[in-house]
Amino acid sequence: MNLEKVIFGFFIVLALTLNVAFVVGEIANSGHHSLWMLFAALLVSLFTTGLKIGDRSQIGAIFLSTSLVANLQLILAITYWAVGEGGMDLPPSQDRMVTIISLASGALVANVVSVLMLVTDTLMSRR
Amino acid sequence: MAAISDLDRVSSIVLRFMRAPILVLLATYTVGISGMALMPGQVTETGTTNMNLFHAFYFFTYTATTTGFGEIPVPFSEAQRLWATICLYFGVIAWLYAIGSMIKLAQHPELLTAIAERRFARRVQSISESFFIICGFGDTGSLLARGLSENYCAAVVIDSDTERIKALNMRDYRVKMAGLCADSSVPKHLLEAGVKRSNCAALVALTSSEDTNLKIAVMARSLNPSVQIICRSTNQHNREHLETLGGVGIVDPYEIFSRQLRTAIRMPMLYTWEEWLVGVPDIYLEQPVCPPHGKWILCGYGRMGSALYERFAERKIPTMIVDPDNQPADPDLPLVVGRAGISTLKAAGISDSAGVVAGTDSDEGNLGILLAARRLNPDAFLVVRQNRHENELAFTGADANLIMQPSLITARRILLMLTAPLMLNLREYLRYEGQHRVRETVDKTRMISNGERHHLWTERLGGATCAVSWLRSRGMRPTLGNAMGCPTDRSRKLSVLPLVLKRAEILIMLPGEEIELLADDEILFCGTEAAHRHFTTNLNNSYTLHYLHLGEDEPRGLIAKWLLRATQ
Repeated sequence: MNLEKVIFGFFIVLALTLNVAFVVGEIANSGHHSLWMLFAALLVSLFTTGLKIGDRSQIGAIFLSTSLVANLQLILAITYWAVGEGGMDLPPSQDRMVTIISLASGALVANVVSVLMLVTDTLMSRR
Repeated sequence: MAAISDLDRVSSIVLRFMRAPILVLLATYTVGISGMALMPGQVTETGTTNMNLFHAFYFFTYTATTTGFGEIPVPFSEAQRLWATICLYFGVIAWLYAIGSMIKLAQHPELLTAIAERRFARRVQSISESFFIICGFGDTGSLLARGLSENYCAAVVIDSDTERIKALNMRDYRVKMAGLCADSSVPKHLLEAGVKRSNCAALVALTSSEDTNLKIAVMARSLNPSVQIICRSTNQHNREHLETLGGVGIVDPYEIFSRQLRTAIRMPMLYTWEEWLVGVPDIYLEQPVCPPHGKWILCGYGRMGSALYERFAERKIPTMIVDPDNQPADPDLPLVVGRAGISTLKAAGISDSAGVVAGTDSDEGNLGILLAARRLNPDAFLVVRQNRHENELAFTGADANLIMQPSLITARRILLMLTAPLMLNLREYLRYEGQHRVRETVDKTRMISNGERHHLWTERLGGATCAVSWLRSRGMRPTLGNAMGCPTDRSRKLSVLPLVLKRAEILIMLPGEEIELLADDEILFCGTEAAHRHFTTNLNNSYTLHYLHLGEDEPRGLIAKWLLRATQ
């Protein structure tokens, strides 16, 4: 067992699960989506990017790029929440909530790709 | 430079051909349009209306091309209709003439060759990896191209026969091979084939004419003093000429075969192993080909017969020659004069001879000798020469112990020279070392082969970009044995056998696993296809090589690396 692999796998999967936790629920209902969950998903995603930096292999490059996509989408989502009427103090309007969840769903796809790659890479090495 | 002159040629042919039709069209349009504009039109209350020049041009365009929209924009007067009729006839005739000329131009042989040459030159220019030039796409050329394609090597082909180039374009090679139908001894075509390009690895002259091959070699050498040239030559005079050029590899199938047969008699295991490695079908390490010791009868004293006689004489193998020509120059020759047949074979003493070589340049003659020899001595080892590839079926059906095909021998040898030149050094080494070392090597090969077919390949550790130099730059010293480990479990080994390691000018034969790898080593291996793929990955992925070398994974991310350093 390799400690680096454990940490790496943990954070990649955690980024996905937090992302799912934020996105589930009715898309326009602001009561179903917690700002704290979005914040946690973004933080874990950023940390995962940090873990991925420095890998010289091909698959390392793709890992990093999926992570960057997830970051970008989540940052856009949280910014859009913050600049709305009432800022972060009030729940966003229905239209605004739809856009935020759409962006976060995009990040979810990138995270799914990342996890799939993690699984295939591990299976391929067969050690 | 070649491309510009070709462009000139194409445009000059087009201009020469199209000048007259363009002038005729221009004249017809001018007269027709001006006439149409000048003809008086319908009379209205403002007076006679004339067509303006744009309308006249519009009308003429659709009339001359037989589109015929009708009388636009207003109905015509009688005078205009008269002129329109004249326009129609002359315009259509002018267009037919122009189109006819264009079709003729498209079929013009000179234009077609000029275009083919330009396209070929452009395709050669677009090759980025190293490539070979094959001059002559006969039996040997196509066998060589097939072999190169199996090794994923790029090549371009020049042959003077259109049919052969058409055949080339129909082949399903793994690598696309550009072909040009042209005389390859003309320097211009050699330039188009890229003989002066830095990624041109070698030029191979394989045309059916010995003199053309010589000419190609001379031209190529003067165009590019450093390119490797390989030339098929069975002619003593030409060979001397070729040797003076420098850096020309001469391939003589008869000479090669004579040496091979001699090796087969002296060291059957070595011969069988070599043939098995280069992929000769129907040959197995478990059943070595064993031509017997004893007296040999050579039928035919041409290029093949004389080469065999000389090689055999060097090793004191007794021979008897059967040939219709008397050889007054050499009275000591053990010669039976006459065509090889029952009586001459008997006179040569076939009943107590070990083997017979039917080596004339006539395929039906050789098959006849084979039948006669088999009847006279059922136990003799029979070697038959097959000159033409198309007679394959007749020869495989015949009862010969060994079939010698000059084209196959040439192609295999050239392939070896191009893709695994170190094999030739190893062969010399093993021949010198003797039976014991050969047996050891063959046993090792058999142990890792598991009955699967092996192939040869040369691995060049690609300088600064490969995994070996990465590890070495971090103070690690991976060995050959490390790189040969199974990427999923380092305690197992891949089915590869290192044969020769070349380091600068030093050759290490049959290197051991403990030898350290350096970034610029060149290693000849044999192994299965699957093992080859894994092995190449080991050498290109520094993480895998790190694991194979130290038994643990290298931390991948920067944070993990930093943590590792902090905890140590």
